[in-house]
Amino acid sequence: MADLHDEPHTLPEVGELDDEAQAAPFGPYAPLTAEEAAEVAEAVQAAHEPESTPLERARALLAMHPVADGYSGLPSALRHLPCYDLQLGESAVDTDVPRLRRGNVGALLWSLHLPEGLVADRAVGATLEQLDLARSVIAAHPEGLRLARSAGQIIDARNCGRVAVVLGPATAAALDDSLGILRVLHSLGLRVLTLTGTSWAGGEAGLTRFGEEVVREMNRLGVLADLSGACDLTVGRVLTLSKTPVLCTRSAARALRPHPANLSDELLAGLGEARGLCLVPLTAEQTGPGLRDVADHLDHVRAMAGPACVGLSGLYDSGAAHPQGLADASGYPHLIAELLRRGWPETDIALLTWGNVQRVLRTADFTARAAQDRREPSTVRIAELDG
Amino acid sequence: MTSQDAARELLREFPVVDGHNDLPWALREQVRYDLDARDIAGHQQAHLHTDIPRLRAGGVGAQYWSVYVRADLPDAVPATLEQIDCVRRLIARHPRDLRAALTAADMETARAEGRIASLMGAEGGHSIANSLGTLRGLYALGVRYMTLTHNDNVDWADSATDVPKAGGLSAFGREVVREMNREGMLVDLSHVAATTMRDALDATAAPVIFSHSSARAVCDHPRNIPDDVLGRLAANGGMAMVTFVPKFVLQAAVDWTAAADDNMRANGFHHLATTAEAMKVHRAFEETNPRPIATVATVADHLDHMREVAGIDHLGIGGDYDGTAFTPDGLDDVSGYPNLIAELLDRGWSRPDLAKLTWQNAVRVLGAAEDVARDLQATRSPSHATIESLDG
Repeated sequence: MADLHDEPHTLPEVGELDDEAQAAPFGPYAPLTAEEAAEVAEAVQAAHEPESTPLERARALLAMHPVADGYSGLPSALRHLPCYDLQLGESAVDTDVPRLRRGNVGALLWSLHLPEGLVADRAVGATLEQLDLARSVIAAHPEGLRLARSAGQIIDARNCGRVAVVLGPATAAALDDSLGILRVLHSLGLRVLTLTGTSWAGGEAGLTRFGEEVVREMNRLGVLADLSGACDLTVGRVLTLSKTPVLCTRSAARALRPHPANLSDELLAGLGEARGLCLVPLTAEQTGPGLRDVADHLDHVRAMAGPACVGLSGLYDSGAAHPQGLADASGYPHLIAELLRRGWPETDIALLTWGNVQRVLRTADFTARAAQDRREPSTVRIAELDG
Repeated sequence: MTSQDAARELLREFPVVDGHNDLPWALREQVRYDLDARDIAGHQQAHLHTDIPRLRAGGVGAQYWSVYVRADLPDAVPATLEQIDCVRRLIARHPRDLRAALTAADMETARAEGRIASLMGAEGGHSIANSLGTLRGLYALGVRYMTLTHNDNVDWADSATDVPKAGGLSAFGREVVREMNREGMLVDLSHVAATTMRDALDATAAPVIFSHSSARAVCDHPRNIPDDVLGRLAANGGMAMVTFVPKFVLQAAVDWTAAADDNMRANGFHHLATTAEAMKVHRAFEETNPRPIATVATVADHLDHMREVAGIDHLGIGGDYDGTAFTPDGLDDVSGYPNLIAELLDRGWSRPDLAKLTWQNAVRVLGAAEDVARDLQATRSPSHATIESLDG
């Protein structure tokens, strides 16, 4: 053990691997790659050294299981800046590469929601512009960011030391009620769609018949449904219908804080049964003014939905006010430290920050591949189903 | 060997790259994109100019499928995306016959595989809704040319068939051209006013195309290309793809169409009206005024002239099938190209010349646009100019 603790953890040479892995405290039955072995060893060291503080343990954990942030408003925030450099640091926004690194953020969902006041009849064009902006920002920061179209590409990006960017959520109005447009947007990288603000989601049934067809086509493509802000009926209906786990990209616990986008205990339990994911927002409005308030919501959601169904959503650059201590993307280690103090097992934290989002995206990929063998692209029109 | 046989043999090696085919719009209008209802794997003569058996018979090796949408829709962008989805579904549905092509290299790969390279062209600047971001979006989706206008002006460019407004290209129009150059999207000058053609030739850093236009000196119609513009193609490196539409290529048909339109208006109808009463008036006109018929020779006359003025390296073919009601005799549908090649062989066009006309020029032009784009991207960021900022 001592050699493990005292030596710097560079990548072991081939041949040393077996010895080192077996020397590790987790026994001989866990075959790990050299890299994993080194990372695990580092974390184990941090976690077990008596003098290590929760913050140090949090950083060590995050080094292995970085944050997959479920909602970043960066594209909209950059839209009106005449110039910016995310690589070196950009004070005009909450998010830049140095702070993402300090916060141990490994993946970001980039919201393509349209700025208020962009009229709905321009939603398709405006979403194309948002996608163009997102892609050009990523292209302009090849050292820091990389576009990820699948769970596998997120891992690739991480292995290359890049922050993976997943495109979405976009607003449902961007489909203009057309499944063809859904397919086109998917081909441009869109992976999450928010099911609000449209005629086919909501109402008495939660989803119209066309809305059901949209969800099926999303499953077929691998576009995740985002249900934050959707009415309870819609959440329930999509949970039943979707073959892929769903997301709530910005929802906390309604039991702790009444907010329309927060989820009731009943829905949290339903989300847990469906193995969906509630991404708790770091906003004063939805979770409360302090870091501990956020932790309270995380405790509650974990208790209601289960540790496999809770995640994090920074909402940076979305215009929201953030709890104290979580003003930008670099604050995550402090939040994780608080959860450690509250006794969260490290396995649950690993799920919270990284594992759950990975699982959902991976499931979406698998489901899509299976569905594509079975189903042709749907071309049904809203008028045929909803009259 | 008959010239027909010689034409078919030539097309086996150097198949036709056609610059414009409106099959996607026809599928939208006829069957709302129900591809089962118009399965192009089999003959669709009753409904369409285009299907795979006839593309094969016609020796087509590459097709720019038009993702045209009407300019009078409230929002052209969503409709354009649906057209793109339609082309992609066609390609996915017929993998043995069609191959998606985004580059000149893809076109050559398709030819080597014996598949029809399938490219996309947008027809009219209305499809980008005055947004360079949307323009780049269309490029990312595979659109490789954009006709700057359709029959109506756009805010930044004059059409050949509308009342002059911008006097060619506006400042934003020139920025659109520059951004197309930077992306590698070909600037298509069919449908635009001669003033727009000249402005675009001044502004562009890459070869331009005319995806479906013929020679104005042979037939005086605004949709055709004046000689001074044809003469500039050599320096620009671009190409004019001759179109077959009778009412553009045959003077008698131009005059007849004008008279028919006047007759419709005189009877209180819009000249394009297709209601039952309107068609009755139109049929009565046609009975007393037989419609003039264009032939393969009519189109060959245009090519002879265009070759003289523009040069053999700057010619191509753009049939406009499924985008026009009438077609010339012998070029009735997409199986007719060998007739045109045979006619040109009879007129003394050499095999190397015909190879340029059918295949090589179009591949060269797309490749040249890619080269220009690569150079420009090294020095220029995407433009975020708006029409408000440039045209005030």
